[in-house]
Amino acid sequence: MLQQQQHQHHLQSAVAAAPLPSSSSTTTTPPSSIAGEAPPKQVAQAMDRLGQAARLIANIRLGADRLLEALFVAAQPHQSSKPLHLFRQEDESMRQHLQDLRTVGKQLEESGVLNESLRSRSNSWGLHMPLVCPDGAVVAYAWKRQLAGQAGASAVDRTRLALKAFTDQKRRFFPHLNDEEDGESTDNVSKKHRNLPAQAEDNQDILSDRKTLSDLLTNMEKDVPNLKVLTYERLDWLKRASSLPDSANDNIMEALKHNFHSSRILRSAPQNVVSMDKIAVIELFFPSVFRAVVSLHPAGSTDPDSVAFFSPDEGGSYMHSRGSSVYHVFRQITEHATVALQYFLGIRSKTALHYLLHWICSYQTLFTKVCNKCGRLLAMDRQSALILPPVHRPYQTFSASKVLSSQDQSSNAPVAYHIGCFSDDA
Amino acid sequence: MPLKWVFNWQPNAGSTVNSQILNEVSQCVESMNGVKEGRWKATLTFYKPMLRDQALAAEFPREFIGISLPEQPNKYYFILRGNKIVLEADSSIQLIMEKLQSYKSRVALNFEGFQYQLGDFQLRVGKVVPTHSENLRGIVMEVEYLPISSLEKSKQIMDEFVEIWQEAVSKRSLPGHFMHIEPNFSEYGLADHYTSQHTAVQYAHVMGHLIATVQAVQAGRN
Repeated sequence: MLQQQQHQHHLQSAVAAAPLPSSSSTTTTPPSSIAGEAPPKQVAQAMDRLGQAARLIANIRLGADRLLEALFVAAQPHQSSKPLHLFRQEDESMRQHLQDLRTVGKQLEESGVLNESLRSRSNSWGLHMPLVCPDGAVVAYAWKRQLAGQAGASAVDRTRLALKAFTDQKRRFFPHLNDEEDGESTDNVSKKHRNLPAQAEDNQDILSDRKTLSDLLTNMEKDVPNLKVLTYERLDWLKRASSLPDSANDNIMEALKHNFHSSRILRSAPQNVVSMDKIAVIELFFPSVFRAVVSLHPAGSTDPDSVAFFSPDEGGSYMHSRGSSVYHVFRQITEHATVALQYFLGIRSKTALHYLLHWICSYQTLFTKVCNKCGRLLAMDRQSALILPPVHRPYQTFSASKVLSSQDQSSNAPVAYHIGCFSDDA
Repeated sequence: MPLKWVFNWQPNAGSTVNSQILNEVSQCVESMNGVKEGRWKATLTFYKPMLRDQALAAEFPREFIGISLPEQPNKYYFILRGNKIVLEADSSIQLIMEKLQSYKSRVALNFEGFQYQLGDFQLRVGKVVPTHSENLRGIVMEVEYLPISSLEKSKQIMDEFVEIWQEAVSKRSLPGHFMHIEPNFSEYGLADHYTSQHTAVQYAHVMGHLIATVQAVQAGRN
């Protein structure tokens, strides 16, 4: 038991001490004597080292996976000393990888790859040192503008992949965690296991007829008045976002959006059909209240992987499911929604999308529903010093049927809290 | 565009506006964690028609107001309060009017002051002064809620903000209060979605109240 704790501690400190090279270059060290080498060789060496760094990072990721796996195995009953042995092995190799990474990182820093100190005085051969973008994409020849564009596009993909990797890991090893990283509390885990069968029945009864994405979205439109549901392929969404707000851009919108109803009606006309298996972005629009963007991964599935809220009048290419609104109220809701999404994925992974979409709809009363604790609509949030409406809507006890059945202000109406009011309660 | 309520300072009976009130109000905004952002200025002009035959004057509207707003530097707004007409024109219309010698400026006022950011709210506090004098005629305040544009959806939010504001201000025992009376926008043909034309109408109404207040004070004196 003691040794396990020790190893956990090692694991934590190993993970905490793993800066990626692109984030460690805060001090600009003057480049050391590389002037002796010809520029092409400098560039080649830099590319080589970047390749090394990428391989080391991949090894570190694998090592982290193995460490988590060893932890998981150790949590099972009747284990031998095998997990401990695995731990020690992985611990050593991780440390070695991290050390190697630090070395390569220093070399790269010195040769000016990670900062721009050399670019302005780049050598007369016309060669530039490779540029490492903050997201890790490498632009070998910085003067090629199209590559910079590629770096930007790759940033989105890389972030998505990284987030997926983390989500998968969390889902596999910590399925019942929300915010508390309570790795060792087996009591919590077993309690939640007991609750699950009841919830599973609940799900099956209500949701047995809502399995496919198509059914889900159709039923949403029927059940929730005032809601407009629109679906997009991933790149189409980017075009749409840039053309928002759409008071001046109705033509573009018509060409790109696949309004859910029209896509079903036009199924016979092949050129207008959006095939269900390409849908990657769902837009939920409550006119004058908010616009929510949900991303599905993989496309066409019912697995949401991110969500974000925006003002109904906002527009721009930053509007996507991992973007951030310029307004505080919608930023706060997005943060809260991300946690809710993880909860839905963890506890009700098969029906996560259904719960998420209905939970999002509970925000249609954002500017009218007073807080259940203090009875007011606006309150000064002490932590952020901002005046906000109740942005918190509980998701643990959320039941989709509540949203469906009530249009009135009875006790069945969804509850809402200010940030401060909720945390006081819990 | 984000919706906005314009408030007019209503002094208590027997008191007048002074710059001390303006300072206190500004301090109050800062005590609510408002961050001072910069200056703002709007102008309002009363026009009178240039007529050869003064007898025709009765056929022209009594109050013809032109307004320029800081958020629309290329536009100029005309309001005929009696006829409930608001018009958005290009800012070059002022030059045209001058060249045509059709209307002349009778009285021109500036609304100017500082702008504050309070999270998703934007506040502007300003003094009302005639263009070429420092004689303080009134105080106005604009409260803008940035995330949404619907007047109807935002009514509750704005009401509650006003409550929070009144609470903060009442601690300073100022001789008066800010008043907001929403004009009937639909009479002007304006919709629920907020625009600068709504702002222009609100300013025209604020002028109406200011004039009424000043006239009441003068009547009280006589």
